[in-house]
Amino acid sequence: MSAKKKEYGTFNGITMNCELKTKERSGVINPIFTCQPAGAQFASIGIRDCIGIVHGGQGCVMFVRLLISQHFKESFEIASSSVHEDGAVFGALNRVEEAVDVLLMRYPDVKVIPIITTCSTEVIGDDVDGVVIKLNEELLSTKYAGREVHLIPIHCPSFVGSMVTGYDTAVKDFVAYFAEKSEPNGKINLLTGWVNPGDVTELKHLLSEMEIDATVLFEIEGFDSPLMPDGNHVSHGNTTIADLKDTANAYGTYALNRYEGTKAAKYLENKFSIPSIIGPTPIGIRNTDTFLKNLKKMTGKPIPESLVRERGRALDALTDLVHMFLADKKVAIYGNPDLVIGLAEFCLDLEMKPKLLLLGDDNVTYGDDPRIKALQENVDYDMEIVANADLWDLEDRIANQGLELDLILGHSKGRFVAIDHNIPMVRVGFPTYDRAGLHRYPVVGYGGATWLAEQMANALFTDMEYKKNKEWVLNVW
Amino acid sequence: MPDINEKVAQLENFIMKKCLWQFHSRAWDRKRQNENILGMAAKLLCGEEVDTSKPEDKCYWVDASYLADSYREKFDWLSTMSDDEIRELMLALKARIDFVTVDGSLNAELTDPRY
Amino acid sequence: MPYHEFDCSKCIPERKKHAVVKGPEDDLTKALPLGYLNTIPGSISERGCAYCGAKHVIGTPMKDVIHISHGPTGCTYDTWQTKRYISDNGNFQLKRTFATDVKEKHIVFGAEKLLKQNIIEAFKAFPDIRRMTIYQTCATALIGDDIDAIAQEVMDEMPDVDIFVCNSPGFGGPSQSGGHHKINIAWINQKVGNVEPEITSDYVINYVGEYNIQGDQEVMLDYFKRMGIQVLSSFTGNGSYDDLRAMHRAHLNVLECARSAEYICNELRVRYGIPRLDIDGFGFEPLSSSLMKIAKFFGIEERAQKIIDEETARWKPELEWYKERLKGKKICLWPGGSKLWHWANVIHEEMGLDVVSVYTKFGHQGDMEKGIARCEVGALAIDDPNELEGLEAMYKLKPDIILTGKRPGEVAKKIRVPYLNAHAYHNGPYKGYEGWVRFARDIYNAIYSPIHRLSYLDISKDEIPEDGGFMTQRMYSDVNLPEEVTKSDSMREYTGKYNIIDDLHKKEYPEFNKKQ
Repeated sequence: MSAKKKEYGTFNGITMNCELKTKERSGVINPIFTCQPAGAQFASIGIRDCIGIVHGGQGCVMFVRLLISQHFKESFEIASSSVHEDGAVFGALNRVEEAVDVLLMRYPDVKVIPIITTCSTEVIGDDVDGVVIKLNEELLSTKYAGREVHLIPIHCPSFVGSMVTGYDTAVKDFVAYFAEKSEPNGKINLLTGWVNPGDVTELKHLLSEMEIDATVLFEIEGFDSPLMPDGNHVSHGNTTIADLKDTANAYGTYALNRYEGTKAAKYLENKFSIPSIIGPTPIGIRNTDTFLKNLKKMTGKPIPESLVRERGRALDALTDLVHMFLADKKVAIYGNPDLVIGLAEFCLDLEMKPKLLLLGDDNVTYGDDPRIKALQENVDYDMEIVANADLWDLEDRIANQGLELDLILGHSKGRFVAIDHNIPMVRVGFPTYDRAGLHRYPVVGYGGATWLAEQMANALFTDMEYKKNKEWVLNVW
Repeated sequence: MPDINEKVAQLENFIMKKCLWQFHSRAWDRKRQNENILGMAAKLLCGEEVDTSKPEDKCYWVDASYLADSYREKFDWLSTMSDDEIRELMLALKARIDFVTVDGSLNAELTDPRY
Repeated sequence: MPYHEFDCSKCIPERKKHAVVKGPEDDLTKALPLGYLNTIPGSISERGCAYCGAKHVIGTPMKDVIHISHGPTGCTYDTWQTKRYISDNGNFQLKRTFATDVKEKHIVFGAEKLLKQNIIEAFKAFPDIRRMTIYQTCATALIGDDIDAIAQEVMDEMPDVDIFVCNSPGFGGPSQSGGHHKINIAWINQKVGNVEPEITSDYVINYVGEYNIQGDQEVMLDYFKRMGIQVLSSFTGNGSYDDLRAMHRAHLNVLECARSAEYICNELRVRYGIPRLDIDGFGFEPLSSSLMKIAKFFGIEERAQKIIDEETARWKPELEWYKERLKGKKICLWPGGSKLWHWANVIHEEMGLDVVSVYTKFGHQGDMEKGIARCEVGALAIDDPNELEGLEAMYKLKPDIILTGKRPGEVAKKIRVPYLNAHAYHNGPYKGYEGWVRFARDIYNAIYSPIHRLSYLDISKDEIPEDGGFMTQRMYSDVNLPEEVTKSDSMREYTGKYNIIDDLHKKEYPEFNKKQ
């Protein structure tokens, strides 16, 4: 975890630098992430005509559905194999068989059924791959002969990784299952990572301005679904089986997030020789510039004037904020790693000082991330990056170790840190259930940069007013 | 004036809508509740003394007296009945409640020996 | 009372006996849904697991406790911040959750050492909290960690701490109810009788099966205090660990949610001779009679009567205002386990709503007996409903509102049935007299929402009405009401504040001298 450090001198004998460390405690107090099956479930709802079966106890589904529902204010369908005591003792593969049958009988449109394991069924050693073979040979070729059904085992032991790795694994498993070489499709694959519908809209907008055709994994704009007069609209993803198959026929894969999609990109590269670009996550102006440059490189398409203007509008908006309001504001950021790193980079561009970055799982490769290395090399003040972190790593530093912050960026599970310590907070990431409609807005692209910076500024303004802290500054602006 | 079946039905309906004591989770518990609470309610309706010196009986009496008071208030025809008739009525009611909550009940958990 | 077969569940015939329609001449011996049976895999049931029943529902409302789950972080994360059970100590238990973060190596080599390290770390992080509950999860149950032994070891080494162990893995039973049972029995076996409380009143109760959703417990506590009753413990909403160790010294157990907490009352009755009194904290009449029953037990009827008179006089005119406007509206009571019977009947009698369906996600047949006994004739009663059945029922019954959980509420929204959160409430508390009016107000606002009405209009086909730039709830609700109602002086809309709990914390209570 060492990186070459530039010396920026010392202050009172203390060297200012950026350090990557791991949480010192063994346990978790207020987790940043949930476990792998949640990530796989989140990926699964992005696919059309797909209902996953989570093989384990019912809570592993019920609460993840609730979590997703809290975030989007919508309901999504995911099933459980409902493992009870007998299954835990004698094995529960019969529950998977029954679940597949019941699901297929009652949901005639369902074609894709990922079977997502959990800690319990991994510990008891249920052979999910074996039962899929059995189901394919027996149930699907008899009772459901002629019906297109895809059973995809996805191994998600909860004691490995986090929801982030669960998502990464699931995307790869879906792609590996479906990808099928036929004719070149003239498209790129865009693996968005764990994002919101607003992000997908923004990304597709950028692609459309560049006149690039892409297969987007996953098409989740439908998560923001309408209330229609016919009263029968449901929220679901719109990535189709054909889209997934076609990923093998792209001329390039762009995975925006290093930790959420790389596995799939590498799979396509190794299997079908499709070149891939991994990141950087296009958060902020600079990373969006890089995104467009990479797209240009990959596709040969020029960056159009319209995006120059769009970028200019964003820069205009940011210029109004940076020196006067955002400069030197101390920030803590937690959440999905690519999001945290992208936000930190953007904050630095905004003249802010990210002091603490919390990465919520024990991924040992964080130290190899060039973005983290760059922070270690170039940050000229004290910054901590903590891996395997929890939210107590944030709160304990504030409450007991003198960490002073002007702003917190993170998801809703950390809301009480902000509330109890009177620190303004901008909700970003997943989940953001304690603020209205955030999933409709992007954090990526030029649009996302503007939106994020203005959210941060408005949060600071509101805080100045509540605390009567130079609130009169805003009399003129 | 309603006949005894109609009266039992009215009394039963009140218990079903307003009370919870008849639905303890085990058959023996229900029998005990029915016996004590309806037994005491019958005595109260007939103006008899009930012994509430033990906490358990005091608790039965609480539910029984609510029942007796409510019955007197809601069912005018009770005031025209003799004590013997009331006793007979309350026995019929107890038989009916026992049937609905225990003997005729379809609740498969009633016979579980543990709580 | 015929069984009801859903079209969507014809292919899973075992579902047929899980729903009935209450007929005009039927009683509970004619038909009763099956209940608390293993869930049909793949049916997309709404049930959770026994871990959540223990940790999330019953354990965590205890307020002065470190709640630590021994397992991977997911169980902990998922059951954190999805409830509105508050406490009067700054919501410690809402804000903090702990996991031992079991990883693959622990699955292989055991996680007992990790657990011990975690316990010590957690107490170190929160030096003011000296009580802990450890919840087993699927993973640590399967690898066979001896949590009790580790807890004992720590208690031996750290005499100022006390640890409760709840072994209720997620797979333990058909639903969360299995966990309710396990934690009840574990608590009485491990902890009750360990502490001798200070008795300050002649009238001492445990208030059981109450989880302080949006302050329900504190509302009821207010009445008990006004009656001079000492509430020795609350099981478990806003409840204190050490108070709950002293449950054996109460004179009476006052039980609300029998589904989740009758076990401990039954055991207290058997072991300590403390009687169990089932009450209803919802609705004017049931609440009044419940307060009076408790008062009668202690011979303090006049104290209860005073509260009943004051509260009824204050709030009845507001309840009546809503009742006039809710009469005949159809409601589905689709909560978890006990609220279907707490609310059935009284919501009809006191708000005029017709209960057209009751369901229970995790309840037992006993809950259905109570619910069916109390709901209207013709109502559809469903055990362990699943997604498609819920939709089919809503299409068929066309309710004006459903009371259910957050996620099923989103399903209802899409087919334009307004919902109120039955578990967490919209603008609670809903217990108490004022709470019941708040409940009526929330139902009224949901049913007569002007935005909701707009969702029926298809602007591409329908005539767009020219009714001005706005509508109010009242412009909808009062349109067909007679003048004696709309212009009544004796009824009024809700006049309470947004937050009625904080004022209770400042309230002073009369002193009642202890006789004995």
